[in-house]
Parts: sequence; C-alpha cells; structure tokens
Amino acid sequence: MRRRLSLDAKRSIEGFTFVAPWLIGFIVFMAYPLVYSLYMSFTEVQVTATMINFTFIGWDNYVHAFLGDNVFPIELAAFIQESLISVPTIVIFSIVVGLLINEDVWGRGIFRAIFFLPVIFSTSEVINSLFSQGAGANFLSRFNIFGMLIQALPDQMATPINAVLGRFTLILWSSGVQILLILAALKTISSTVYEAAAIDGAGRWEVFWKITLPALKPFIVLIAVYSIVDLSVSPFNQMLVQIRNHMFNVRTGMGYASALGWIYFSIVLVALVFVYAVGMRRVSKA
Amino acid sequence: MSINISEKQRVRKLWWKPRWLAFRARMLGRGMRPGLLSKIIVFVLLVDLAFVYVYPILYMISTMLMSTLDLVDPTIRWIPTTLYWDNLVKAFEGLGYWQGFWQSLSVSLVAAVAQAISCGIAGYGFARYDFPGKNLLFVLVLLAFVIPPQIIVIPLYLLYREFGWINTKLPLIIPEMLGLGLKGSMFIVIYRQFFIGLPQSLEEAARIDGANSLTILGRIMLPLAKPAILTVSLFSFVWHWNDYYLPSMFISEQSQWSLVRRLQVLQQSLDEIYEVSPYGMSSMTEPVNMAGAFLVIMPVLLLYFIAQRWFTESIERTGLVE
Repeated sequence: MRRRLSLDAKRSIEGFTFVAPWLIGFIVFMAYPLVYSLYMSFTEVQVTATMINFTFIGWDNYVHAFLGDNVFPIELAAFIQESLISVPTIVIFSIVVGLLINEDVWGRGIFRAIFFLPVIFSTSEVINSLFSQGAGANFLSRFNIFGMLIQALPDQMATPINAVLGRFTLILWSSGVQILLILAALKTISSTVYEAAAIDGAGRWEVFWKITLPALKPFIVLIAVYSIVDLSVSPFNQMLVQIRNHMFNVRTGMGYASALGWIYFSIVLVALVFVYAVGMRRVSKA
Repeated sequence: MSINISEKQRVRKLWWKPRWLAFRARMLGRGMRPGLLSKIIVFVLLVDLAFVYVYPILYMISTMLMSTLDLVDPTIRWIPTTLYWDNLVKAFEGLGYWQGFWQSLSVSLVAAVAQAISCGIAGYGFARYDFPGKNLLFVLVLLAFVIPPQIIVIPLYLLYREFGWINTKLPLIIPEMLGLGLKGSMFIVIYRQFFIGLPQSLEEAARIDGANSLTILGRIMLPLAKPAILTVSLFSFVWHWNDYYLPSMFISEQSQWSLVRRLQVLQQSLDEIYEVSPYGMSSMTEPVNMAGAFLVIMPVLLLYFIAQRWFTESIERTGLVE
C-alpha cells in the first residue's frame, strides 16, 4: 500500500515537472504583469527620465472612463454592438464552409488550401494594409446594399449591420481557425452513425439536423469562444487602439490606459464565461 | 391480342419512368448520396467564397506589376500591358529586404522551435499525468489565452527594461521557451488534445517492458506526435512572422525590424531613398506598396503551400484540434 502511494506521488511529481516551466513563465510573464497593471489602474502614473511615480487615486480612473471620457464609452458600445453581429456571422459562416468543404467536391484539396489561408494571414498587418488600399473585394457596394439597408431599417439597426457588411471580407478572413475546428469536429463523428442513418432511410437534410448538428454543438460553443477572443485581440480592434493611444498620452497616461484595459478585459471575460456557460448547459441538456 | 397491344402501349408510355427516376437520383441524390445538382451548387458556392480569399492576393500581384500608365488607364483592370518589375525592385530596396528577411526568419524560426518543444512538454504533462492542482493550472492556461497583450504590455516593458532585454530579441523568445508567448496557450491545448487521444495501453505496455518516463516520451510519444509538432511549428512560425504588436513595443532599433514592420514605413523609406517630398508621389505608390506586401508575405505563402498538404491531412486524420 505504501509503495503504491509513493508511486502515485512520484507520478504526480513527474507530471508537475512537465508543467513547471510553463508555470514559471506564467508567473513571470503573465501573472506578475497582470497584477502590476491592475495596481497601476488604481494609480496615476508619472514617468520621469529616471523613475516612475505612482500616486494612488482609488477608483478615479474607472469613474473617469465612464463619466469623464467622451470617446471610450462610445467606442465600447460600438465594439459590443459589432461583436454581437460579427461573432454569430463568423460562427454560422464557418459551419457552412466547414460542411461544404467536407463534402466530396471537385478540387477539394485546392479549396481546403484556400480556406485555410486566413489561418496563416488573418493575424497579419499585411492583410490590414492590403484592405486599406482597396484590395478587399467590396462587391457589396456595387449593388448599393448599404443604401437599401438605410432606407429599410431603423438607424440603430442599419448602422451596425452596415458596419459588418462593410467588413464582410474581414469577417470571412477571420474565420480560418474556426473552419478548421469545424472540419476537425466533423471528423470526430463516426461514419457508422451515418451508415446506420442511411440504412434507416434518412435523407441528408434530416441527417444534418438530427446527427451532424447535435454532434457539432460543443464545437460551436468552442468556436464562439474562440471568435470572441480572436476579435478582442485583433489588430483591427478600435478598443485596443484607444488603450494604446492613452498609454503614451502625457495627460492621461499609463494608469488610465491600464484601467481601460481592465474594463475592456472584464467585459470580454464576462462575455466568454456567459457564452461558455449557456452553451455548455444547452449541450449537456441535449 | 388486344391485351397485348394495351400492354405494349403501357410499356411505351412508361418507358421514360425508370430513366427519369435514375436521372433524378443522379441529379438530386438519393438518401445520403449527394446528387450531381447539389455537387454543382456546392462547387459554385465554394468557388464564390474562395474568390473572396484569393481576391486580395490576385489584386496585390496584378497591381504590383503595373506601371504608372497602366494604373491610371481605366480600360486596364487586371492585366498590365507589360510586366513592370520596377515596383518590386523599389520595394526590395525600400524594405532593406535581406536584413529584414533575416530578422524575421531568425525570430520566427527560433520561436517556432521553442514553442513546438515547450508547449509540447506542457501539453504532455496536462494530458498524461494527474497531479493536484492540474485543473486549476489548466484554467490558467486558458486565461493566458484570453488576456489581450495590450493590458500587460507596460509592466512587461518595465520588466524587460529591468532585465536589459529592450532592443534584443529575448522578449520574443524567452517566453516562447517556457510555453507562453504568441498563442502559446493554444498550442498547449492542441498538444494536450493530441496526447489525450493516444491510448493509455501504449504507455502501460512500455512500462511493463521496463521503459522509464523519458524513454516513453522520446521513443513512443515523440514519433507519434509528428503531426501535432508539424502543425504547431507551422502556425507558430507563420504567426511570429506576421506578428507586429509586441516586437514594435520592445524593439525600436530599425536594423532589427522584421519585414512586417518595415512594410509599415516603406513609404517613408522610399521617400528618403528617392528624396521625394512627402506630398510628391502619393497616389502612384500603391504598386510599390503592393510589391512590398508581396515580398513580405511571399516566404510564408510559399511555406504554406509546401506544408499545407501535410498539415491539412494531419488535421483530417487525427482530428487534431478539439
């Protein structure tokens, strides 16, 4: 008995050794800066040539962000509005494309290569500069969809929808990893299930709703979470631009930038936990 | 006799029916089998969508080969009258291509190798071992994925300054060696998922044969993990190549800039080289910028098209990411 226990303990230690380097890295390069920035968010930071002064000011930075700043709350609201539209669009789009390339079509290999391109390039500033110089295929503007929407919908709805449509190419470009995840998920569904369904005379439509989609559900939650994270750290994100600007702004400074960062981060985190909790409950019910 | 005739007529009337049914089955599909029609629809849809992805690249290549005359000519949209290589030459000079290429390559290569190893080790620990606090640590891994680097960049800067790492490549390499850095958490998750999928009996059998943990890792797990290693290294390499934000924070010295960063200031560099006033040739520099963008992403594009076959296959085979 004692020998068994000590064997278990030995394995625990071994396992921990594998994870230990990461833990050290996490403490030094993640946890410490996080705590530091949380502290900074409650202070006013003054940078002089030789040193940095922190003056503790309590919640002032946070209060100012919502009551004093006339850009941040607006940008924040715009960001939330846009995410509410972008994330579902990305999720649905990647499911559709995942299903399509999983079909047995001509040139499947070439299509896969093309649809995985965003995995490689969506992180790139190069794409950003391509789009800003007109390389984004803005075929929508040709049909004057924007004008039609503005006429047909109330302003509050038309504006964010237009914003999303205007960045349609960008949305397509940010669904690379998601398509990949869906493809991988489709591979986890055993082919015997499909064969059984075929023998029972189920049509493709039925099979999709009754077999494929339920099996995909946990992955859908996963890609929703991934999309939120991806969106929240993407270089196109206006919130991050704001934070960066304040960082080097003499008047507001690093303390305020940190506070903005924390507000932003908590909102993203709440959204993530919410999506995950609701999604997973649905999954376990089904 | 009369019966015979009506029978004949009936047969003649219905001769098309089985053919029609066969035709319909071929077009619309029967049961689970997709028909030709749905195949065509899927194909057309995919071509359309693929176009959205390919368009920027085509646009880039077509524009960079245009001379100024072609560019202003409204009758020319895609195909330049003559291939005009001057833009590429200019961009090449303006980027300081070889220096930038070397900077990008060295950082990406070292970082990719570092992450492929360190994230693999951590992922292996999370997948194949049990120890107290494991779940909590894994939550921290996920947390590290979610934290936007912009939040921690100031403390990091101060930390690196303390270490004397500013204007060196260490901030882009040391965290990677410990399994953090650019998307490190994602790679840990990929590895973990991969190692969880391997059967426990592999390890047990080896243990009965007297193998110790290191032998198991080196002799059994490592060869099996090739697809995961390939995917992680490819992603890590490419994402480091593209990375812009953190390098721009910690490296200010121009000679150490990666290609992506040089592209951002290509315009200025060209103005300096050709001594043009900032307002001089603004509208006509698009081809040069496109040529620059092409030069910057071409190495990864090449790498991708060489490697994509392995890696899409490995994803299909193993269901790598979960």
